Amino acid sequence: MTTLNPTSRVVSPPPRSLDGRIWLLMRYSGIALIPLAWIHVLIQDVLVGVHRIDLDYVALRWATLGWRVYDMALLGFAFAHGMNGLRQVLEDYITRDRPRRLVRWGLFAAWLVITAIGAAAIVGGVGRGAGEVGGS
Amino acid sequence: MSPLRTVITGSVRYRGREGQLAFILHRLSGLGTLLFLALHILDTSTVYFFPALYKEALALYRHPLFMLGEIFLVAAVIYHGTNGLRIALFDLFPRLWRAEREKPSVYTTLAVTVVLWLPAAFIMGRSLIGHTFLGWE
Repeated sequence: MTTLNPTSRVVSPPPRSLDGRIWLLMRYSGIALIPLAWIHVLIQDVLVGVHRIDLDYVALRWATLGWRVYDMALLGFAFAHGMNGLRQVLEDYITRDRPRRLVRWGLFAAWLVITAIGAAAIVGGVGRGAGEVGGS
Repeated sequence: MSPLRTVITGSVRYRGREGQLAFILHRLSGLGTLLFLALHILDTSTVYFFPALYKEALALYRHPLFMLGEIFLVAAVIYHGTNGLRIALFDLFPRLWRAEREKPSVYTTLAVTVVLWLPAAFIMGRSLIGHTFLGWE
């Protein structure tokens, strides 16, 4: 077992299959998420902080189209990356065909619904009649 | 169900050392971040669907325990990105890979994570203490 001692590495993903494309997409989206997610976390969690975030703050941020595009990209990349990662983890432990298909479709449906909800909010913006918040 | 037991006992017994450590940390940090992300997409969506509810979500986020969790979330996001970059580079450019680079590369990701995380943890920790004990507004 320990006689295996590779000195070089060959990586050959199935290039034209769906799994091969997803394999590539995980790496590309992962690289894209390093600036996307890190800058988001740096600004919102570290520099601004949850105590200074409220409806007005979200409305102000989304008043800039660029931030909406940014958030949309983050939503699209991060959640797809994460849900496919969860699929990979689960498929390591679920080997039978039927439960596997169930997990795949379940995760796909959850991904679709939650992404749609998030995208609708980014497009729609802060809702009107938001109580004491002054409308813009 | 024994598979879960097998996973746990196997993870402890299997001595994959640095590579296995990176594998486990990558999965845990990814799953933890995903759990938060799903919650975060849904709670942020209340600003459009139920704006009055957003305050409740923020109250949850401002809870000291949640702020503590947030500090670890940031660690997870930094580690997952750093280790993910290591994986992507070795996968997309196999020529970069050498057997003797495998273990040092794991330590490099851990070091980069700590260096990036400490200042963030300091700022967030200060905010946590200030808002919990010093009455910051």
